Amino acid sequence: MQRTTPAGRRYLKRFTPTMLAYVVAVLGTSVAVDQLHPTGAALATLSILPALPILAVLVVIGLYIREETDEYLRQRVVTSMLFGIGVVLAISAVLGFLQIYRAIGQVDVFWAFPIWCGSWGLAQCVLAWRDRMAGGEA
Amino acid sequence: MNNRLRVLRAERAWSQQDLAERLEVSRQSVNAIETGRYDPSLPLAFKIADLFGLAIEEIFVNPAKEQDQ
Repeated sequence: MQRTTPAGRRYLKRFTPTMLAYVVAVLGTSVAVDQLHPTGAALATLSILPALPILAVLVVIGLYIREETDEYLRQRVVTSMLFGIGVVLAISAVLGFLQIYRAIGQVDVFWAFPIWCGSWGLAQCVLAWRDRMAGGEA
Repeated sequence: MNNRLRVLRAERAWSQQDLAERLEVSRQSVNAIETGRYDPSLPLAFKIADLFGLAIEEIFVNPAKEQDQ
């Protein structure tokens, strides 16, 4: 994400508090589950709390894509996201069949989002590096 | 898509950053267009053409006619 564009700056302004909310929700939920040992609907409600900021981050990302007026940067971000989706789907397919045939045990679905973010970030770095290597003066 | 952007920019002694500011895009965008790694949308192509006072086809090389040139 380019901090130099107005949309990029707005993205950061939205992203930072959302991720802070995520950290608070994760810590709060962990403490609450450890201390209160909730069950049933209470446990389900508590468990969903940390996911809400993640859903909000997806909205923040969507807003960035909608608001980014620099079409090249937007294309670069979307391309990186698609790469991330490809990585998640590839891993899901391989792990899915490994699970179907009982070659491995349970794998937490939770990891899909971090893997997507990581792959997206990696692709973004590669594309930014390619741009720098492409030459042209500053 | 091949284009004359770098030449036109050099004729005016503009840096990529200068051109980017005039077009209200990032320097990376200018660099990607100049090096042919990114084809601008029609609105941006028109904006570039307007800035240089030229027609789009005087800046961007039609890929279909590229071999003829």
